[in-house]
Amino acid sequence: MKRPWASLLLMLPALALLAVVFLWPLLQVGLLSGQASSVLTGLEPVANGGANWQRLLRDSRFWDDARFTLRFALVSVGLELILGLAIALLLHRPARGRGLLRAVTLLPWALPGTVLALGWRWIYNDPYGPLNALLQALRLPAHGFLTSPASTWLFVVLADVWKCTPFVALLLLAGLQSIPAELEESLRLEGAGRIQILWRLTLPLLTPWITLALVFRMAQALGVFDLVQVLTRGGPAGSTESLALYAYLQAMRFLDFGYSATVVLATFMLVALLTLLGWLLLRRPAPTPAGTRELAR
Amino acid sequence: MPGPLASRSRRSLTLLASLLLSLLLAVPLGGSRAASPSAPVTVRVLMPSPFVDATAPLVAAFNREHPDLQIAVDRGPLDTESISDLATGSLLLGSAPYDLLMMDVSWTARYVAAGWLEPLEGLLGGDLLAAMEPGARLGNAFGGHLWRMPLTGDTGLLYWRTDLMERPPRSTEELERIAARLQAEGRVRWGYVWQGRQYEGLSCVMLEAIHAFGGRWWEPGAGRAGGSTALASPAAIAAASWLESLVQRGISPAAVADFAENEALQLFAAGDAAFLRNWPYAWREIEKGGGPVVGKVGVSTVVSAPGERSGGTLGTWGLSLLHGSPHPQQAAEVIRWFTGPETQKALVLDQGYAPTWASLYADADLQRRHPLLAVQRQALEQGPLVRPLTPLYAQLSDLLQRRVNGMLSGAATAGDAMRAAQDGSVVLVASASGTPAPGRGGRVK
Repeated sequence: MKRPWASLLLMLPALALLAVVFLWPLLQVGLLSGQASSVLTGLEPVANGGANWQRLLRDSRFWDDARFTLRFALVSVGLELILGLAIALLLHRPARGRGLLRAVTLLPWALPGTVLALGWRWIYNDPYGPLNALLQALRLPAHGFLTSPASTWLFVVLADVWKCTPFVALLLLAGLQSIPAELEESLRLEGAGRIQILWRLTLPLLTPWITLALVFRMAQALGVFDLVQVLTRGGPAGSTESLALYAYLQAMRFLDFGYSATVVLATFMLVALLTLLGWLLLRRPAPTPAGTRELAR
Repeated sequence: MPGPLASRSRRSLTLLASLLLSLLLAVPLGGSRAASPSAPVTVRVLMPSPFVDATAPLVAAFNREHPDLQIAVDRGPLDTESISDLATGSLLLGSAPYDLLMMDVSWTARYVAAGWLEPLEGLLGGDLLAAMEPGARLGNAFGGHLWRMPLTGDTGLLYWRTDLMERPPRSTEELERIAARLQAEGRVRWGYVWQGRQYEGLSCVMLEAIHAFGGRWWEPGAGRAGGSTALASPAAIAAASWLESLVQRGISPAAVADFAENEALQLFAAGDAAFLRNWPYAWREIEKGGGPVVGKVGVSTVVSAPGERSGGTLGTWGLSLLHGSPHPQQAAEVIRWFTGPETQKALVLDQGYAPTWASLYADADLQRRHPLLAVQRQALEQGPLVRPLTPLYAQLSDLLQRRVNGMLSGAATAGDAMRAAQDGSVVLVASASGTPAPGRGGRVK
């Protein structure tokens, strides 16, 4: 760059916007997390030292919610990546009606989250939902999909996978189409099988796209709110309460803004840490086909 | 390539500028609320969706008759807590866009502590509540002021099937016995359905159960929270055990752990249950639905353990004046009309809402046209149960819901669930009052 200040100047509006919509609220939340501000203080902020953070460390509900949120994000994003890749590979093959198929695949993603959650509430309904009707038709006992603290989180994952797999598939499909067809051609001429091509060529070249999907989806899944709020309200027995829902309850329902800010900030740190970790793990230069052997391990 | 780059940045600058401009333009649009004195005054009311539909013709008539005072209704969500969340969101921004809020009885203390309500006694004048059924007067005053005028006199009720039994059960034991017999004879799939989902409805069910076994949830007292909880008492544990046993014995389906009012109502209206715990609205809802139990439903007050005397949880709705309303006088005028006997009478006839005025319960014509009134009056006279009157109620309720729902889902026994709810409540009340949490120092739930 000949004139670094010029590029800085050009970036200034964007930086200013970021500062206003991101840094400023973050600072506010940081400030609030050091204060008591609840119904018992008349919603006036009163400094309380580190009391909120001490409470957070002892608050087993926060850690239970953190465990659920992590488990939910890891399992659902993992499943979405595997299924999304499979769908992307299928849609990548030339076939009749491919355009229509691609459009249809996107439908779940286009559905608003709350509408989807309401739909799944009905599907899981005990005893009148279609899933239980199916079980009864098979002479199996009805199952309380949303009333078993041990397993309900899996059904929340299922609803999320149904909605978000198309997003991952679309992203990976775009990645697949950026891989030159000649590369596959030449590998095939050298006698490589389908699995080998997938393993040695497609996946390595797709890594940047997988990283992108992973980072996007992890950040979204760790902040899951609408799905659990409508589908389970964090129940049964709080087993599907996400950190975002906990922060929301503390602020909007309990009017405990100091503690809510603490939960929000702790969640933010957790998400930032995980996103950074994922990015570091997968951040590698886009490989050339020749260098794929090492990456394929 | 300076050309395209420059044009791109110019484009984004234009975009940014137009964004900023539109933001600037949007501000005054949302900000100006003050009306000039000659123009008609508009009083804005936020209400749950069902109330909006129920009162739409009445509000339209009012607006036609009062050209200088208009009521504008904002439609809120269906669900009780979602309404509060929505109102809270705008109240936090300083001045709410509404003058009046339709409030659930359980919000009063919290909203008062947050400083969001205006006392009504000066604006409405006189002791208006005196002409209401004594039970309907509860939960509207707090700290020596009147904060809310009740529109409905709802309490929890027991619905039963007149085709399956001669008369309703009078005690918990009798209810169990009848239900188990009917189930054993194969005359009905389930015995008793109620609200067991992790939400406010479960707290209402628990409050009734605790009192039905002679216990208390809340003991008023000193301190900033205004009292303390008594959830680990033998009576409270017996209440939780009763609900647990209903599910374990198959009298209630395991699915009650995810039932709100609507799910329980549907199962009962489909003819699949002998008993239902619900609010007065369910009567009209079942009759309108045209299902297999129409004409076979009786309503009674809730049951209690032999030798105890319980009541239904008070679940009334009423109007409150929000702090910062630019025209409190006119808003009070609207409250007076909205909660007045004529509006309530129309709502009894059209919607089956339970009224609050004693004169309406004494109205022979109304009694004939709405048979539920007699039972509802009895429930209000029996002394309905008010949920703990403390600004911390939402947290206390959440604690209890989680524990009891966990018990219903089989995650804990009744004793463990109630002791854990009590421990959590004690820590909450202590820490919120600014005193250190008592003892142990371990993790708290």
